[in-house]
Amino acid sequence: MLGILRALGTVVSAALRKPATVQYPTEKKQLPHRARGFPTLLWDFERDEPFCTGCQVCARYCPTDCMTVTMRDNPKYAEGKSPRRKIVDKFFIDYARCMRCDICVEVCNFDAIVMDNTWRSVELSRYDRQELVMDLDALLKPSRTGQLKDPFRDAMGVAHHGWAPRKAEEEKEKVAAAEE
Amino acid sequence: MTLDEPFAPAERLAARLAIWRQRLRATPLVDLLALLLDVSEPLGPLGAQVLWVAQPALGLMVSREAVADLAQVLERPGGVAWDVPDDFEEHARYVLDRVRTAIDDIDGIMTENEVFLARCRGLSPVTPEQAINWGFSGPMLRATGVKHDLRRAEPYSIYDRFDFEIPVGTQGDVYDRYLVRLEEMRQSIRIVDQALRQMPKNGPIMASGLKRTIRVPPGEVYARTESPRGEYGVYIVSKGGDKPWRHKVRAASFCNLSALRNMVVGNYVADAIIILGSIDIVLCEVDR
Amino acid sequence: MIGNNPWLDGILRLLVVAVAVPLSVIVLNYLERKVIGRVQNRLGPMRVGPYGTLQSVADTIKLLTKEDVRPSTADQWSFELAPYVVVVPTIVALVTVPIMPDLFIRNLGLGLFFIVAVSTVPIVGFVMAGWGSDNRYALLGAMRSAAQLISYEVPLILAVVAVAMVAHTADGGRGTLNLTEIVDGQDKVPYIFWQSLAFFIFTVAGLAELYRHPFDIPVAESEVVGGPFVEYSGMRWAMFQLGEYVSLVLISLLGALVFLGGWNWPLVNELAERNAVAGTALQAVLMLGKTSFFILFFFLMRAAMPRLRVDQLMAFSWQVLLPLSFYQIIVNGLVVVYGWPDVVLGVLSGLGLLAGSALTYRAVRKPTMVRRPRPVAARQGSEVKV
Repeated sequence: MLGILRALGTVVSAALRKPATVQYPTEKKQLPHRARGFPTLLWDFERDEPFCTGCQVCARYCPTDCMTVTMRDNPKYAEGKSPRRKIVDKFFIDYARCMRCDICVEVCNFDAIVMDNTWRSVELSRYDRQELVMDLDALLKPSRTGQLKDPFRDAMGVAHHGWAPRKAEEEKEKVAAAEE
Repeated sequence: MTLDEPFAPAERLAARLAIWRQRLRATPLVDLLALLLDVSEPLGPLGAQVLWVAQPALGLMVSREAVADLAQVLERPGGVAWDVPDDFEEHARYVLDRVRTAIDDIDGIMTENEVFLARCRGLSPVTPEQAINWGFSGPMLRATGVKHDLRRAEPYSIYDRFDFEIPVGTQGDVYDRYLVRLEEMRQSIRIVDQALRQMPKNGPIMASGLKRTIRVPPGEVYARTESPRGEYGVYIVSKGGDKPWRHKVRAASFCNLSALRNMVVGNYVADAIIILGSIDIVLCEVDR
Repeated sequence: MIGNNPWLDGILRLLVVAVAVPLSVIVLNYLERKVIGRVQNRLGPMRVGPYGTLQSVADTIKLLTKEDVRPSTADQWSFELAPYVVVVPTIVALVTVPIMPDLFIRNLGLGLFFIVAVSTVPIVGFVMAGWGSDNRYALLGAMRSAAQLISYEVPLILAVVAVAMVAHTADGGRGTLNLTEIVDGQDKVPYIFWQSLAFFIFTVAGLAELYRHPFDIPVAESEVVGGPFVEYSGMRWAMFQLGEYVSLVLISLLGALVFLGGWNWPLVNELAERNAVAGTALQAVLMLGKTSFFILFFFLMRAAMPRLRVDQLMAFSWQVLLPLSFYQIIVNGLVVVYGWPDVVLGVLSGLGLLAGSALTYRAVRKPTMVRRPRPVAARQGSEVKV
C-alpha cells in the first residue's frame, strides 16, 4: 500500500513540473552551436564571391559520392580584385545521399564548406526527391542572406598529420608560443 | 561503424583500444573526454526494461535526449576532433540534474510499487554459477551476486582515477536487475561529477604520432569495455597493413540473449516478455 | 416536479442527462490526455483548438466518418448489439444518481440496488462482443473481461451494501438504499471515516470495473491486442469508449455520494441557513470537487501503475478483497444489531484496512504465488573463472 502511495506522490510531483515540450513549429529549440546539419557553402563578403574554388577535394573524399563540382577561371582574379585564380562553376550536393559525416568540411583547403547548424538544414521535406539536389545558389543562400550567423568552424583536431589545414597549424603555433 | 547509438562511445573506445593498445599511449585529456561521453550509460537499459510496464519511462526519454545533446565532440582513434565547447561544464551539470531527477522519479514510482514487485520479484532467479556458465556479463551478472565489473577488474581508460561502487544483487531475478541498473545510473552520475571536476582547463586533445592511415604490426588483440549491457569486446587480427584481417565483435546482448530459453522455460507467457525486457537487448548488437 | 406533469418532468430531465453525458465524456477524454501528458513531463493535446480543447471533438468526428468494417463471418446480432448492451445500462444507471439535492431523474427508494443491478448488464455486452467477432483472441479477451468484471463486481457490491447497512436514515434509524438519504446522513461526518475499509474496497474494485490500470489486462493493447474490441472500428468503437467514460463518471459520482459526503459536507447546512444561494453554490462546488477527486485519482493511477497479470488480478479479488468485504459486512451487522456508536465502526474498519494492507505487503515481498519453475539443467560447459 505504501509503495503505491509513494508512486502516486511521485507522479503528482512529476505532473506539477514544467513540461519539457517545445511546441514545434511555433517554437523551436535552440540548436547547439555545433549542430551538424547538411553542408552549405560560405560566401566571402569582402570579395563578393564564394570561398569555394571548385578544387573537388570534398567531392573526392565524399564517401557517398553525393557531390559534383566544376571550376572555371575567376574573372575577378584577372581584374585583380580577388586572390582566387579559379572559382566554383557548378556545385551540386544531393542531400538525399549526404550522410552528414563532416568529411568534406574536414578536408576543405579553403574552409569554404561548413555544416549548416540552423533549422533550415533540418526542415528538408520535399515532395519530390529531385528537389533535394541542391545547386550552387541554394547552397550559398544561407550564408549570403545572413541566416547562417554563426557556423561551427573550429579546425578539426590534428587528426591527420601531414596535411592539417593551415589554420589549425597556425593556431597550434600560437598556442605553443603563448605557453612559452 | 557503431552498433548502438548513443552508447557508441563505449564501443568506439573498445575499437580504439584494440588498435593502439601496444604502441601508443593516449593523453589523459583524451581519456577524460571519452569518458564523459559515457554519461548515458545505463539510462537506456533502464528505459527499455521499464518501458513495457508503465508510462513514467516516457519521462526518461527527455533525459536521454538531454544527454544526447551533450555529445558534441567527435571521437577519433587517438583522441577527439575538437575540444569541448566553453559552456560544457555548465551544460553537463544541467544534464546531470535532469538525469538525477529522472532517476529519482523512476525510483519513486517503481521501486516500492507493490504491483511492480508482484510482477517482477522472484521472476526467473539466476544463481551465480548459472550466470557464469551462460556467459552473462554486465548488470545481469552483477544482479546474481558476482561482483565483476571490467572497470575495476581491468581498468581501461582512466577509470582507475574515480571512486565509485559496484552495485550487486542477491537473487538475480528481474527485480534485482532493475535495482542494479538503477544504482549503476547513480554511480555513473557520480563518476561524471568527479570527471568534470578533474578535467583540466586545456591540454592536448589528440595523441601525437598518429598518421592518417593507421598501420599496425601483425598480431591479434582482444580489447573489452564495460558497455551498458555487459562486456563488449573487439577482437582484431592483423597481418600488417592498414586493413584488419579479422574483426570480430563480442556483443554483450547476443551472449545475454542466448540464455533466454533457460530463463523463460517454466514461466507464464506474460512473464516471458518481462524477462526479455530485463535482459535489455539491443537488436543491432544481436543481429550484427 | 417540473410543471406538475410527470411526463414533461421526466422527459426534460432525461434530456438534460442525454446532453450532459456526452459532453462530460468529451471533457473527460480531453482531461485524461492532458493529465497523463503532464505526468509524463509533456503537454498533451495543444494544436486542435485553443490548448487542444477541440481534440476530442476531432476524434469523435474521425470515428464517425470511419468505414464500418465488420468481419464477414461475424455473428450479426451479437456483434452489432454488443456496443449498445455495454453503453445503455451504464447511462440508465445514471437515472437514479442525484447530482444535487434536486438534480436527478427519479429518486428511487432502491437507488443503490438499481444502480448495482443495472451496471452488471454490460458484462453480457463484453461477452457478446468477443463472441460475435469470430476471432479467437477476441473471445479470449472477452472471457478474461467477463471473469475480471464478475470477480470484482462482488466486492464492489458488498462494499456499497455495507455502507448502505449503516447509513443513517431520515428517521434516525440505520439502513437505506436511497442515495439521497445516504448523502443526507453524512452532514456531520462522511462515511469514509467510519468505513475506511469499504472505501478502499470500493476504490480498488471500481478501478477493476472500469478496466483502469492496474487492472486493464482485457483491453491492454500490447497484451491481448484490444481484447474483445479488436474487430470494432469507427462508431462502434466510439460507443465502447463512451461506455467506459460514462462508467467512470458513474463510479466517481457514487464514490463521492456514498463515501465523501456528496453535497452535504462540510458546513453546508450552516451556510444554507444563512444564505440559500450560497448554500446551493457550495453544494455544487463540493460535488464537483469530490467527483473530480475520484476522477483525478483514476487518471493518476493509470499514469503510475504497471499492469497486474491476470491470475494475480483474480487472486487479489478472491483472496483479499472478498474476505475483507465479508469482514466489513460482519462488523457492520454487529454494529447495527447491538446499536454500537459509529466510532466503533470506524475503529474496526480501520483495523481491517491495516490488516488488508499488511496482507498485500507480505504477499508481494515474499512471493508465495506458485511459479512452476522446472529446473533446467545448465549446459555442461567449461567453468569460466572470472
